[in-house]
Amino acid sequence: MMNQVRVQTENFNLGLEVDSLTAGRTDIGAVTSFVGYVRDFNERPEVEALTLEHYPGMTEAQLMQIADEADQRWPLQGMRIVHRVGRLEPGDQIVLVVVASAHRQAAFEACHFVMDYLKTRAPFWKKEHTASGDYWVSARDSDSHAAKRWEKK
Amino acid sequence: MNKLTHLDARGQARMVDVSEKKVTARTATASARVRMSAATLQHIVEGTHAKGDVLATARIAGIQAAKRTPDLIPLCHPLMLSKVTVDLIPDASLPGVLVEATCKLAGQTGVEMEALTAASVAALTLYDMCKAVDKGMVIEDIKVLEKTGGKSGDWTYESMQHADSKPVVETKTAVGPQLQVRFFAELREALSEDELSVELGEGEETTVAALIEQIKAKGEPWATVLNRPNLLVAVNREMSHPDSVVRFGDEVAFFPPVTGG
Repeated sequence: MMNQVRVQTENFNLGLEVDSLTAGRTDIGAVTSFVGYVRDFNERPEVEALTLEHYPGMTEAQLMQIADEADQRWPLQGMRIVHRVGRLEPGDQIVLVVVASAHRQAAFEACHFVMDYLKTRAPFWKKEHTASGDYWVSARDSDSHAAKRWEKK
Repeated sequence: MNKLTHLDARGQARMVDVSEKKVTARTATASARVRMSAATLQHIVEGTHAKGDVLATARIAGIQAAKRTPDLIPLCHPLMLSKVTVDLIPDASLPGVLVEATCKLAGQTGVEMEALTAASVAALTLYDMCKAVDKGMVIEDIKVLEKTGGKSGDWTYESMQHADSKPVVETKTAVGPQLQVRFFAELREALSEDELSVELGEGEETTVAALIEQIKAKGEPWATVLNRPNLLVAVNREMSHPDSVVRFGDEVAFFPPVTGG
């Protein structure tokens, strides 16, 4: 299976993910990756931690569907999507997307596409813990707009 | 329905998170049967066995085993058992010994594994104590007789036997609510519930919109939560909409807009 998605509490290692995607392959000419981190400011300053919830089963299926859709749009040689859940603190890695292709343009665009779709379609929810209390993060319009750019005309 | 909860969405083994489950009084009784020669049984009953009091030893072994269940069964939660009883009943008609183990606790997960382990190990100990005189003993019919408490309610082996003898359709209906509704994130918190069972008979269907109205009719906090703007819904883990059809056995989930990444 060239595409792999995982939802896990453990941290991930970008280098290992890239190596596992490219191991033994000579048809890959480009690998792009995106790593998202927990920031210490968001809707409120001084974010101390956040807790990520997901919908087991559906989340993995949605991520796989996003990967499949990227496959249909670009000639890709494999993808890894890893998303962490549970309690995370500022500076922690939260999400990883790795895309392999023969050429850089497809790899860049597909990576961008997967992140934009993941933000608006994959059932994850963030609760932020700050000095002034806990709150569920609300969805951003800018994320929906970013995802809409990829809609076919 | 009737998913294997010890497997996650990728079919990998996991320990089920029970932290949100309510603490209820739970009991479970399991049984096992050890068949042996009439002479062996006589030794046991008369207490003339070379290794000493077979039944007392097996009883203690069963109680000890119940306490060690999570060490033996990989995905079983460690529990604070409040009571364990192991009864060993000689039965000349087998001939052999019936083992019945009952475990009790107030907790968030069932105790049938503890009862099964107690019954099994008591039976194994009977075998160990008597194997020198009777290698042909048979341990058989290990099963849960009944369990009480917890979300799935009371259950007995006997009632299941009756249900099985009915036509398949009736058995399914007898299982009870056939629409599982789940709530995530802010919704789950506002409701203090992560799921709700809705009655829907086999062959019946409804729509997401009608289901929402049905749940809102329960009053607060359901009405407020399901009136939220931007409420999203998934049917069988696929994004859906108010007109989507919902059938017997489906899983419907409501949640707020997603905020991952």
